[in-house]
Amino acid sequence: MAGLAPRVDYLADFCPLGGLTAGRPRVLSRGAEIVLSTGRELVYVYDREGRLLTAVYKFPGPVWHLEVLARRGALYVLCAQRGIYCLSLDQASRSVRQNGGDDKDREPPYPVIPVDLHACVLPDATLCAFTVLDSVLVTLAQGPAQWKVQLFERPCPGEDPRPRGLIGEVELSTCNPPAGSPGEPRAPRFLPVLCSVSPPGSRALHGLLRGSGDFTLEGALFGLLFGADASLLESPVILCGLPDGQLCSVVLKTLVTSRSAPGDPKALVKILHHLEEPVIFIGALRTEPLAEDVEDTYSDCLVALGHHGRTLAIKASWDEAGNLVPELREYCLPGPVLCAACCGNGLMYHSTPSNLCVVDLARAGVHGDPVQPSRGPGGLPSLLCPTSLSVCSVVTLSVSSSVPEGGTELLALSAKGRLMTCSLDPSAETPHPAGVTAANAGRKIKELLCGIGTVSERVSSLKKAVDQRNRALTCLNEAMNVSCTLLSHREGPRPITCTTTTSWLHLGLRDLLTATCLLENSSSFSLDRGWALCIQVLASPHAAELDPAGSAVTYTVPVDRLSPGGRQEVTLPLGPGEDGVLDLPVTVSCTLFYSLREVVGGALAPSDSFEDPSLGGCPADILPEQEGICLPLSEHTVDMLHGLRFRGLAAPCTQAPGPLRPPSDPVNTFLATCRRLGSEQAEPTSLRAKYLPPSVAAIRVSAELLRATLGDSYSGVSLCCATLQWLLAENATADVVRAQALSSVQGVAPDGTDIHLTIHEVTVTDLCPEGPIQAVEIQVESPSLANMCGVHHAVIRRMQKVGVGSRPPCSPGARPPGAGAGCCSPVQGSGTMTPKSEGLHVPEESLHSSSLPAQRALQWQHQPTLTTFPKHGVCISLTWDLSVHVPRRPPSLRTREPVAGALTRL
Amino acid sequence: MSHQTSLGTSVPQANCLDLWREKNDQLVRQAKVAQDAGLPLRRQQLAQDALEGLRGLLRSLQGLPAAVPVLHLELTVICNFITLRASLAQGFIEDQAQDIQQGLERVLETQEQLGPRLECGLKELWNSILHASSPLLELLPALHHLAGLQVALWLSTDCLGDLTLLLQTLNGSQSGASEDLLMLLKTWSPPAKKSDAPLTLQDARGLRDVLLTASAFRQGLQELITGNLHRALSNLHEAASGLCSRPVLVQVYTALGTCLRKMGNPQRALLYLVAALKGGSNSGPPLLEASRLYRQLGNTVAELESLELLVEALSITPSSEVPHLLIEVELLLPRPDPASPLHCGTQSQVKHLLASRCLQTERAEDAAEHYLDLLALLLDGSEPKFSPPPCPPGPCMPEVFLEAAAALIQAGRAQDALTVCEELLSRTSSLHPKVPQLWEDARKGTKESPHCPPWVSATYLLQGQAWVQLGARKEAISEFSRCLELLFRATPKDKEQGPPSNCEQGCTSNVALQQLRAAALISRGLEWVASGQDTKALQDFLLSVQVCPGNRDASFHLLQNLKRLDRRDEATALWRRLEAQTKLPQENATWSLPLYLETCLSWIRPPDHETLLGEFRTSLPEPCDL
Repeated sequence: MAGLAPRVDYLADFCPLGGLTAGRPRVLSRGAEIVLSTGRELVYVYDREGRLLTAVYKFPGPVWHLEVLARRGALYVLCAQRGIYCLSLDQASRSVRQNGGDDKDREPPYPVIPVDLHACVLPDATLCAFTVLDSVLVTLAQGPAQWKVQLFERPCPGEDPRPRGLIGEVELSTCNPPAGSPGEPRAPRFLPVLCSVSPPGSRALHGLLRGSGDFTLEGALFGLLFGADASLLESPVILCGLPDGQLCSVVLKTLVTSRSAPGDPKALVKILHHLEEPVIFIGALRTEPLAEDVEDTYSDCLVALGHHGRTLAIKASWDEAGNLVPELREYCLPGPVLCAACCGNGLMYHSTPSNLCVVDLARAGVHGDPVQPSRGPGGLPSLLCPTSLSVCSVVTLSVSSSVPEGGTELLALSAKGRLMTCSLDPSAETPHPAGVTAANAGRKIKELLCGIGTVSERVSSLKKAVDQRNRALTCLNEAMNVSCTLLSHREGPRPITCTTTTSWLHLGLRDLLTATCLLENSSSFSLDRGWALCIQVLASPHAAELDPAGSAVTYTVPVDRLSPGGRQEVTLPLGPGEDGVLDLPVTVSCTLFYSLREVVGGALAPSDSFEDPSLGGCPADILPEQEGICLPLSEHTVDMLHGLRFRGLAAPCTQAPGPLRPPSDPVNTFLATCRRLGSEQAEPTSLRAKYLPPSVAAIRVSAELLRATLGDSYSGVSLCCATLQWLLAENATADVVRAQALSSVQGVAPDGTDIHLTIHEVTVTDLCPEGPIQAVEIQVESPSLANMCGVHHAVIRRMQKVGVGSRPPCSPGARPPGAGAGCCSPVQGSGTMTPKSEGLHVPEESLHSSSLPAQRALQWQHQPTLTTFPKHGVCISLTWDLSVHVPRRPPSLRTREPVAGALTRL
Repeated sequence: MSHQTSLGTSVPQANCLDLWREKNDQLVRQAKVAQDAGLPLRRQQLAQDALEGLRGLLRSLQGLPAAVPVLHLELTVICNFITLRASLAQGFIEDQAQDIQQGLERVLETQEQLGPRLECGLKELWNSILHASSPLLELLPALHHLAGLQVALWLSTDCLGDLTLLLQTLNGSQSGASEDLLMLLKTWSPPAKKSDAPLTLQDARGLRDVLLTASAFRQGLQELITGNLHRALSNLHEAASGLCSRPVLVQVYTALGTCLRKMGNPQRALLYLVAALKGGSNSGPPLLEASRLYRQLGNTVAELESLELLVEALSITPSSEVPHLLIEVELLLPRPDPASPLHCGTQSQVKHLLASRCLQTERAEDAAEHYLDLLALLLDGSEPKFSPPPCPPGPCMPEVFLEAAAALIQAGRAQDALTVCEELLSRTSSLHPKVPQLWEDARKGTKESPHCPPWVSATYLLQGQAWVQLGARKEAISEFSRCLELLFRATPKDKEQGPPSNCEQGCTSNVALQQLRAAALISRGLEWVASGQDTKALQDFLLSVQVCPGNRDASFHLLQNLKRLDRRDEATALWRRLEAQTKLPQENATWSLPLYLETCLSWIRPPDHETLLGEFRTSLPEPCDL
């Protein structure tokens, strides 16, 4: 086997644009003539002796299958979406020759004969495969839900196209109809394979050309596979290999059904096997040496090949008791298989995009196997070793009918449309002797040239694969570099950053709070194909705790070649949504994601470059969808202070005329309010806004601490102004505040209620034994309790940062304590019970509850207290002035939640 | 409303509507031309082009937002498209339900009632459209036409519940008013088409009539199969009085014949069958039904004659009739399955039926001829055109061969029978187990005989019988011995091994196997008797009684043999047992044996049971008294 070097001879070039797709092209040889189609509209007849095209037929659609009845010189062609056409080869070629004689010099060099409608012997748009026997035509059509095998009287060329007598039909198993718009015919990716198998003895009746799809099996295997009835009737059997992997058989003589009723599939169809991948080829071989006295060579092994290389071989053998049993083996050959061919001597050839391989199923393969010496005849090799023939990208193969003695000749059509013959001569294993005579020097040179041609085609295919892999490797290397850079800069400024800012956007009648993420690449690497920026918007920290999956929305934006120094900006809406509700705070976290699938998937997939790209490759199985590298970049919390807008101030450059109330139409709101007022279900917030004094909360912070925090950046203004500017630093609409150096400002919350922020300096006397302390009091005032709480929370969060920033972080304070049930209940309890007039002072608490005994943290006091931070002597005092009233209905959950939240985190 | 005004004001839109409508009319005319085209290829092409044209037109119509003035045309185009497609494909498919659904959703779109699209099934869509608060008066004719197609689709897929509901809604009757499908169809009157409406391939009223006939016939068949004969009769009468083509009428009359035969009215049944036969096309089912009728009447000559006619009728290649490009009754009928009275099988199935009936009615000569014809039909035809073997549940191919051999022997043509048997064996020789000689020495300890299909043994049995008839005793005995050797090797437990064949179930039922063994043993015993070797015969007879205790013939042969050997005591004991058995009710008629085995058993039956028993009764009074 090792010495099986093929002699490749290029005959002609049939290169259609874009190369050939496996599965459709066909090559057949008929004596000295070769009939081939490339899967397009044309069918060529090529004369090997004269090395020229003798005829070219043009069909009205792509040609899917060809068969030639040699004895009658009839050519049968399946034209996609049209049906089966029948032509007489002899007649046609004669007339073409005459034509060719008339206009020799005209272009193109060969006449193209258009095939007209009258040659169509079986119009049927659903046909996918057919095979011709001596007197019948067997077709396989794709119904809406099932494959249908039909048997017709064989039409002859030149006959009147009259309705063919349908002899029988049967439906095979279900098929998955190709997805697409209903009723729209679409070309299937894989065509089914149809072939006919004859029992020995009946061959005398069928004198047709032994094409790829017709063979004779020896009696034992035939009877074993198809039953005693088929052997007794000596009936040919139709084998169907379907794209879903099923291999089923129909005994031809039983497929005669009464009119109007298709046969019963249970009785007529037998499923032999399921390959679980599209069947590409069905063939038969002779694996055992012939007995001396036997004249006919019948195949004793049936093989079927799947697209991914799964191979089935069935032989008949006898068990120990002497019973006939099937021996069935599955092998795995390298895929994807484009086409295959069997030849009589136990060899099977199969072609992949990169190679043409041969495997030996004959007994010779197990000769040296010492493990099973006592096996009866009919052992199949336990393993198949494909041997490369160093020819690549063959899309269709057939064993030439004019085989020289002892050798094999394959007719092949390469993906580039080249027709070639590969001669495999086992006797010519040794190289020619050195003494080159003049006679064979020419032949030798020709062979070498052919060899170069083969090699160059192979090289180009391999090169393509290598290039793809190189590209993938380069991409991977860059990705690794970026990851390393990002991960090594844990402290300090990172080379790739993502900053988030918020702003209000006016969209027609609606205002939207948007977050803008700016991705800046200041590293020395570029972010290329495969990178994506994932932005996760988490509705609120509480929601995340309660329902980690539900409240987060993730946006994925592909990074579009971000070279060093480049920036990319992504803006996304935060709310309010359709319902007009904007729940702050919202956490926006940005992550860089690198999809391995996108970059490496293509290179890892079998370099199946001959598949039609529009049909989609199949790297899907190789990498899972979400395989990749994930690099967190930043996390930003958008709170109430970011969402505030200011309208009371003269704002020359901002959005003064824009209606600041969020989405709802004012008239509607008005009407809705009126309606609600009449009913019991008054909205507590709006009621409170109208009739109640606003809720107030105050936070006192040590002036010293603030000064230290603010530093020099706010020099030139008073501490109060600086504090206010600092608090609103990230608010896009707060330019007015900055411009006018205010210490008190009136803003509008996203839901339209007012928020008043007032900052003034106070002196705290009773906190520290060392004397009074200068402090800054931040007062938040709003008619809406929820908004007040929101702003309060936002202020606290900033204070927390001050605290955390200036000292080692304390664990419980960094995060809102979740177990706040104990804290909530007294507040709510007394809140709802206390008479309306009585102001309730919620006491200040330490931000770091670890510094206080737990019970003290929950004390209710009328006098504010100050708590010292250990070591630093910085005080923060909080005062709440809650006007708690008793509503007729308990406040809705939405309004209650922030209160509880705000209180629990105190 | 806004759509209407915009459409009314914009002139090009109105033009477009006219263009589309003109296109529809032209395509419908083209389809009608295709209907009359003589050349099938041209017909197919024209119809296919018309179908594509309608598809394209529909797509352009559905590319725009739904609007009431255009919807009427759109629905009509959908109806034409579905009609043409179903008639071209000769059946309804899932896609057509989608087409209807799309049309309905478009109607709902104009009413702004379309809720969440996904939840709506066809049933709900129809419901919400027909119960719409604003009746879509101008759409009503087209909607009724579409509903008619929906009824056809549901009828062909047997969704009778949905169908009834839809018809009730169409009739405007209260739910629960009438559940009878035929009644509902009769009361449904689709509104008449306006004269200026776009052309349709088939109008709604015509469709209604087709639906009425089809559903009556379907229900009649259903009732006939389930045995509800009176209702079947009334439904079938309804179908016969409706509008239908001649082939359908033949089917209806045949079904009526079956129904009346089962009701015990053979003369009336015969009238319908004659009427069916006058219908001309497809005379298979009425002929088969006639043969059943004559069989029931005991008129064997007429029965066989009608079967012969049936064989001839089936030998004519069915001329494929050109279906109309309309929804026709044929399209809505269930596919005839073997259980249906309209199923007449293939030529060879009928031929086999004829031959086996001849054999059963003791017309051996005819049977032999018919079997030989059948085998010629099956084997020699180089064209598989007319060569179907009988389908299961009929006998499998080897059994057909065996029956043929049995018929030949019965007809006194033993040499021909031998030829048939040899053909059977030679054709299946590669499937027979290998005689384990090659590896015998290697596996002396675990000698296990290979399994062999029972029909192989039966072939040897028949060969033996043929030799018996030819007077070649030696050959006969050797064939019987071979048969017995194979039979006692056959172990039913490894049935799944060996060449698979659907005849395995038929012959390997235990009873059949026992009877086969008994038949072989008795046959050999009889040959021993004939050659005067009574002791050897005794062995075989004894064994046959053991193997098959239920076979009385074996006991009688044993009794005779014992008597001949003058072993009176054993004979008396056996006679007593037989006497006791005779008094018990006979029960061995319940199981059915393969026909060839029945025939074979009839050959080896002792001629005179009663005389033999009587002889014993008189000759052995004394031991009885003891």
